[in-house]
Amino acid sequence: MALKALDIYKLLPKKNCKECGSPTCLTFAMKLASGKADIELCPYLDENAKAVLGASTRPPIRLVKVGVGERSFRVGDEFVFYRHEKTFYHQPAILFRISDTWDEATIAGVVHEVRDFKLTRVGQDLLLNGVAVANDSGDPAAFGRAVAVVEANADLPEVLIADDPAALEAGLAHCGTFRPLLDGATEANAEAVCALAKKHGAPLVVRAPDFEPLVALVQRCTALGVADLVLDLDAPTPAEFVERSSAVRQLAIARAVPELGYPVYYDCSKAGELATAALSVGILKFGSVLVTGPLSHPETVAALTLRQNIYTDPQKPIQMTPGLYRIGNPGPEAPMLMTVNFSLTFFTLQGYLESTRIPCYMLIVDTEGQSVLTAVAAGKLSETVVAEAIKKFEVESAVEHRKLIIPGYASPLSGAIEDATKWTVMVGPRDAADIGAFLETEWKG
Amino acid sequence: MAYDAPTDWSGTIGRVQIGATGSEGGTRKVSYRIGGNGGLPFVEPNDGLTRPLIAYELCDDPAFWSPLVTERLGATAADLACWTRAAEMDFGADLVRLYLTSTRARGFDDFDGIGTAVRTVLESTDLPLIVEGPNEPAIESEAFRRIGEAGEGERLLLGTAEAARYRSVAAAALAYHHAVIAQSPIDVNLAKQLNILLREIGVPHEQIVIDPYTGALGYGFEYSYSAMERIRYAALKGDGDLAMPMISSAIDSLTIKEVRDAPPGEEHRTAVAWEVTTGLSAAVSGAAIVCVRHPDSVAPLRAALEATWGSA
Repeated sequence: MALKALDIYKLLPKKNCKECGSPTCLTFAMKLASGKADIELCPYLDENAKAVLGASTRPPIRLVKVGVGERSFRVGDEFVFYRHEKTFYHQPAILFRISDTWDEATIAGVVHEVRDFKLTRVGQDLLLNGVAVANDSGDPAAFGRAVAVVEANADLPEVLIADDPAALEAGLAHCGTFRPLLDGATEANAEAVCALAKKHGAPLVVRAPDFEPLVALVQRCTALGVADLVLDLDAPTPAEFVERSSAVRQLAIARAVPELGYPVYYDCSKAGELATAALSVGILKFGSVLVTGPLSHPETVAALTLRQNIYTDPQKPIQMTPGLYRIGNPGPEAPMLMTVNFSLTFFTLQGYLESTRIPCYMLIVDTEGQSVLTAVAAGKLSETVVAEAIKKFEVESAVEHRKLIIPGYASPLSGAIEDATKWTVMVGPRDAADIGAFLETEWKG
Repeated sequence: MAYDAPTDWSGTIGRVQIGATGSEGGTRKVSYRIGGNGGLPFVEPNDGLTRPLIAYELCDDPAFWSPLVTERLGATAADLACWTRAAEMDFGADLVRLYLTSTRARGFDDFDGIGTAVRTVLESTDLPLIVEGPNEPAIESEAFRRIGEAGEGERLLLGTAEAARYRSVAAAALAYHHAVIAQSPIDVNLAKQLNILLREIGVPHEQIVIDPYTGALGYGFEYSYSAMERIRYAALKGDGDLAMPMISSAIDSLTIKEVRDAPPGEEHRTAVAWEVTTGLSAAVSGAAIVCVRHPDSVAPLRAALEATWGSA
């Protein structure tokens, strides 16, 4: 099945032209063998080599780019079924659906909402990704006008949703150079839609109600010269979506069916009242481009937080920069609380401290992003680390007292920290939720 | 399906009975047998058959509960019988989870009171019951004995056993034939270890429900999600000490910053969005019971679960 690097090398032109981005043909062959490069990066391959190498060397799920510029997004290029096996790499894009039956002000309102929404969590900015314009009117001219309104209001990636190639063409007249995702090709319209996708270099959604027709349609579209495909599994319910997308992911990463090796598209708005539930399962179960009707603020925040959680690398916890952080406006007598630079620990503690309304300091020491429990066990949290942080961040000039509150799980280090820092150590609660009560009774008391 | 995804699973999740009907020695109108899955949700079609259950959580001393819930419920939250009836009749829960928060008061010694609370809930609903006992080692032996006794014959699910303290709750479960929640901190190996400890003191697998601990969405939920997938996966690969159904309760959901600091007028909708998103996600990763506290969370979560699993 998979070819070895040397076998691949034999088929390459051996020009070492570097045009593929690799220094030599051999390094390119090695990248191909490990699925880290795409065969089409080589401009000099003959047809025979392409046929032999083809799908067996490209990444199991093709990387597809939608849009241009700062807000463009890439999806696909995934390698695992469970996030704990490695990680999920490219988080799904979430796009709000706009109808071409809406008036200009309503369309502009949603476009501005998508453009301006920003949620900052654990130091990351979470954004919505774009808008999907749907040809609900059935009128190509109305569709063109709606796309023009979107273009006039923001530089966002777009999905153009229309079965009628004439409508797609009317939309492409306004955004054809910006790589919109076309939704899409079906058995009925594949030739005309593929011609449009090819002409504009646009990625294309391929939709079929079952796997066999989907595979056949993918073969047709690639034969027509469209390489950037996204699969719509046409699931009638969220349950069907999970079932189909799970199977597609398994078959794709096993390279068992190369025609299924593309990112998955899900128009959640088709689930009607259950669109938010559909969006959640789309995020959890291998959806890559997710279209939904405009969500309320709480629903948007929950969806983006879920996406952030699922696409956090389990091997690399999000870290905070070590330092001295202030809660409120602490004075020289304010409590000094030490903890680790695991972002979750930081933000959880910060949230509870803010709710106590007691101004205080958080001394964040460098444990390479490990939580208190694991840092203590692995020796990443030690008296030396704490003493160095006190010195480095000039903690002794911030407060006049010398009392340091440490996390409950760091209690085994309390004596050693006292010896190394000459500060008095107070062992705080294990659970950040109890910090308010602790400060009330132990600190003030 | 035209293509079957390749799996090499041989294990099956065991079944655990919760609740007992009249013919089973209890007084519930329904009893559940959770578990029994041979795959992850929807990876094998046979797993789509049983919809995960929704437990509505309430407590006997609302002073220790989220103000968002108690303010929303008003007088109902102050009357345990009323609150319980609402959980079944108004909110539409599948089962009720009673937290005996009264045991958290300093110097607690009202053991008769917790027995009464358990009986009140049992008399106010026909649904199966989960009871969450005290966290305080000094009182737990007596407290769990009273809880177990008050629910005798009803096949309660008792919580919570942890690696450092599991004997009292296990003893009550064995003496009065209840099931036990075994909670470990988001780690497949620790979950297994606790199940072995419980087995060694005589609690059979058919009486254990795994709680891998669920961090709130945005506050560690990703660890819980993967822990549940790993536990389920290990069981399907044949590890009998992990082959129990799971329960998930993101108990911090109503106290996190996003809910606490939600824009005015959006607090309740934020709380519901959080609980529903977390509950559905936990169910997708394999939980058989998901728990919520906000009264408005039950209906949308049920709709989401039914859409994904069917209404069976």
